Amino acid sequence: MSENKKILVMRSITKTFPGVKALDNVNIHVDEGEIHFIVGENGAGKSTLMKVLSGIYSHGNYSGDIVFNDEIQHFNSIKNSVNKGIVIINQELALFPDLSVYENVFVGHEITKNSAFVNWVETKNQAKKYLDMVGLKVDMDQNVRTLGVGKQQLIEIAKALSQDVKLLILDEPTAALNENDSENLLNLLVELKKKKDITSIMISHKLKEVEAIADSVTIIRDGKVIIRMDRSEINQNEIIKHMVGREIDNIFPKRPKYKGGEVVLESVHLSSFDSSLNRYVLNDINITLKKGEVVGLAGLMGAGRTELAHSIFGNVKKYKLTGALMINGKQVHLNHPHDAISKGLSYVSEDRKKDGLILIDDIGQNICVSSLKKISNRGFINFFKQAFFADKYVKDLSIKTPSIYQKLNNLSGGNQQKVQISKWLFAEPKILILDEPTRGIDVGAKYEIYTIINDLIDKGMSIIIISSELPEILGMCDRIYVIAEGKQAGEFDIDEATPEKIMHSATTA
Amino acid sequence: MTQKNVSSSANNNEKESLKPINPILRYFYAIISMFRTNIRDYGMFIALIVIFILFTISSNGIFLTPRNFSNLLDQTAYVAVLAIGMTLVIVTRQIDLSVGFLSAFLGAYVIVAVQVYGENLFLAISVALLITTFVGIIKGYLIANVKVPSFVVTLAGMFIFKGFLMIRTDNTTITTTHPFFQAIGKGYLFRGFTIGGYNIVALGIGVLLIFLLVFTSIMRRRKNQQLGVQNEERQIYLTKQILTIFVLAVLAYNLAAYNGISYLFLITLVVLVIYFIFTTKSTLGRRIYAVGGNPEAAELSGIKVSNTLIIVFISMGILSLIAGLMYATKVQNTSPQHGVSWELYAIAATFIGGASAGGGVGKVVNSVIGAIVIMSIPNGLALTPDSNANIEPIILGSILLLAVIFDIYTRNVRPVDLVGMYYAKKVHGEELKKAKADLSAAKAALHKAKANGEKLIDYEYALTNAQTSISKIKNMIRIAQEEEFMDHKIDNDPYIPDEL
Ligand SMILES: Nc1ncnc2c1ncn2[C@@H]1O[C@H](COP(=O)(O)OP(=O)(O)OP(=O)(O)O)[C@@H](O)[C@H]1O
Ligand SMILES: [Mg+2]
Repeated sequence: MSENKKILVMRSITKTFPGVKALDNVNIHVDEGEIHFIVGENGAGKSTLMKVLSGIYSHGNYSGDIVFNDEIQHFNSIKNSVNKGIVIINQELALFPDLSVYENVFVGHEITKNSAFVNWVETKNQAKKYLDMVGLKVDMDQNVRTLGVGKQQLIEIAKALSQDVKLLILDEPTAALNENDSENLLNLLVELKKKKDITSIMISHKLKEVEAIADSVTIIRDGKVIIRMDRSEINQNEIIKHMVGREIDNIFPKRPKYKGGEVVLESVHLSSFDSSLNRYVLNDINITLKKGEVVGLAGLMGAGRTELAHSIFGNVKKYKLTGALMINGKQVHLNHPHDAISKGLSYVSEDRKKDGLILIDDIGQNICVSSLKKISNRGFINFFKQAFFADKYVKDLSIKTPSIYQKLNNLSGGNQQKVQISKWLFAEPKILILDEPTRGIDVGAKYEIYTIINDLIDKGMSIIIISSELPEILGMCDRIYVIAEGKQAGEFDIDEATPEKIMHSATTA
Repeated sequence: MTQKNVSSSANNNEKESLKPINPILRYFYAIISMFRTNIRDYGMFIALIVIFILFTISSNGIFLTPRNFSNLLDQTAYVAVLAIGMTLVIVTRQIDLSVGFLSAFLGAYVIVAVQVYGENLFLAISVALLITTFVGIIKGYLIANVKVPSFVVTLAGMFIFKGFLMIRTDNTTITTTHPFFQAIGKGYLFRGFTIGGYNIVALGIGVLLIFLLVFTSIMRRRKNQQLGVQNEERQIYLTKQILTIFVLAVLAYNLAAYNGISYLFLITLVVLVIYFIFTTKSTLGRRIYAVGGNPEAAELSGIKVSNTLIIVFISMGILSLIAGLMYATKVQNTSPQHGVSWELYAIAATFIGGASAGGGVGKVVNSVIGAIVIMSIPNGLALTPDSNANIEPIILGSILLLAVIFDIYTRNVRPVDLVGMYYAKKVHGEELKKAKADLSAAKAALHKAKANGEKLIDYEYALTNAQTSISKIKNMIRIAQEEEFMDHKIDNDPYIPDEL
């Protein structure tokens, strides 16, 4: 095996940010035609390493060598690395939502006539070729906006293929995908490896995926390489041990069996009409949540789970609601998140960057923004309190940051998520809605978050978890609703729920 | 932090041989480091000082005489007040193009009511206040709830208020004679109270302000200590205090040497202080900045974004009324010619002051400094012999551009510690020399290999190895901090007790 050609060697890469050494003398190599995983805790430096590799942090902003195809590379921009055949797909997809599918495949490297005019016929033909390669069957004239994340991801890969990619880098590609789409993507990577000899580097927090398709893994902790494992050595427990530096036997901490309690939240024939889409996004939803209970909302991406959360949490998207919402047996009209918060609701949103956080503000400001009353006196903020609580949550949730005054922009994805959760814990809700709470979060932190959920339940909170990860739903919930195409497609007690049953209801509505 | 450990362990044994830096040099290094690290905060003050110096030279010293200085502040007043309101508008990612004519119209409304129709002054002002509040609500509602872009809403407003201004003034110029208007526009606080030609009130307020500033800064240091925020070193703190006191003293002296504190200046100051406290300390202020930082997240955090926007536009409206009255009473008339480009001056002042069009960023104090920068241009040009007043807009435009470019370039400045670098250079000097020699050797070897047509990869490795070790050492020097080289920690705050 060892005589395999090393397509990529990164030698003693060091990269610092003010106050943070993100990468400390990192050495990795990737063999030609393999699928290499990089795993590590939140803030370990994975994304930074890939940004160095792809020229986002240009040569001179880090120290060390990148040797690609036996040549030392000095990338000054993404463009340089793309020219050499290295394409990165970031977690925030770089598509143009209002351009069509085929335009997106070639945007930035258009096929031209006389090198001045776009050759649309050829563009379409070529786009079709690459879309077939990734197995995406959609109307190519459609705007990308109308497609789900899974399909958008495939377009990104088609785009990479059209740029003659040799090394494909994917930063948490499956974080926002459901099981089906994730599986598709993994299969595609294997196929590309076999048929086109495309090497890929993938970052993921889902260790199942590593077991499934990795040829080798590099584990990073605190900016340093801990170990590189080959195919034969890969096993989840080993990986976790190296990642977090200790063993975690059961990723889902146990909670006593739910004993029942009064209903705290109930939706009665709740339907939501979205006037901008001109259709019902929710249709006749009847769900209940009891005190001290964890209820899961399972379903496919776009099934209407987030829409349900939005409808309950003060109807943020201004749907036309019919039916009723009851809190503690009384009907309530929540017309703004503000009303919802004052009724004891909190909502950790699924898209933390867009809907959850103020990235230009610091940790304390973000944690306190929804509970300004708690840190103020007659309308004036007590900054002492703000710092106190920021400090408390940074410690409680082990948020990795040089100081509580760090701007959210400069935190790694997982740590941003922890800040978002802190913000809503600080609001001290009675009912907490968590929308994809562990998206992009490492195993250790996941475990911490699950432990927090159990603590909250212990204190009498009631929690709704929306998740596309079935193990999470099955591991954490007392009861599960399945939502499919805006309708309620099934309800299971945890004892009777199985992945098959849930997937069955989710797909056959 | 891992970085420190690396370098401090490397130089442990060499520490004894390190001679401490000359204290005077150390002081200057520390001051310059502070400046470079916080260049964003000081950029505008530096611009202001440069402009002041240039105009003082070009006007043969007239620019900085008490009389002109007083005048300049009075001329700035209305733009400063508008810029304060505009800061919040821009912080919330909006724009208000209507404030120029709105201000002029509101000024005209009050003055015509009193001078032409003989209405009661306070009634007229109250009605104007109602009008402007109403207008603010409409603007805010259209922008926040109906989602018409603020550019369009306020552009429409600009035309509409221009019309109202022409109607209200009946296309004539109406002079102000009412004693209240005279007092506001031309009056000074206790003008007669002088000793030896110096106004006592101005001096008194100056002294009071100095005390207040010193007091609050001591409080802030104490609070920082409680919050665990690193306080700046005592020497630097004292230097800053002395500079601030000096500036305030010059200001107070200049005003006192002329006629004292004008009402226009006083109003500006009061508005500024209120808005400063409002924006930095109040929950409403916090909400406004949160809305600017990320409207979707703010909404989901329970902040009523549309109400917040409406409040911002009401505030802009009230400040427009104040600004309109300030201007009309200063020039002692109201006229259909008023109001032209005021909004643009206010917007420019805000951007010169470092506000970001992306939202969530902007400080009212800086916007006021921006206003002074802008208004000193026509003032200074007028005092400069043989100058062409027509170049004013060119200078203004250039300063605006430079300010924004500066802002973009300094977005990622890193902290520097020249004292630390000084020590680090001493400690790592030899290493660096050696690394540089290695580099040239590697370069030469590569060159030779190329000439001989050998396989290059090993030579390239050697070359980047050498480059890497140089950049490592350089980086080590760049991030070096003084504490690493000291046996004891620098005493940050000798005189503040630890308990609360
Ligand atoms: N622009 C930046 N400025 C300052 N610090 C940064 C910046 N980008 C990243 N960091 C810091 O560098 C470290 C590594 O971040 P990185 O994003 O590489 O982590 P990651 O391994 O991708 O984590 P995650 O799994 O949460 O995505 C973190 O401590 C982060 O806070
Ligand atoms: Mg990352």
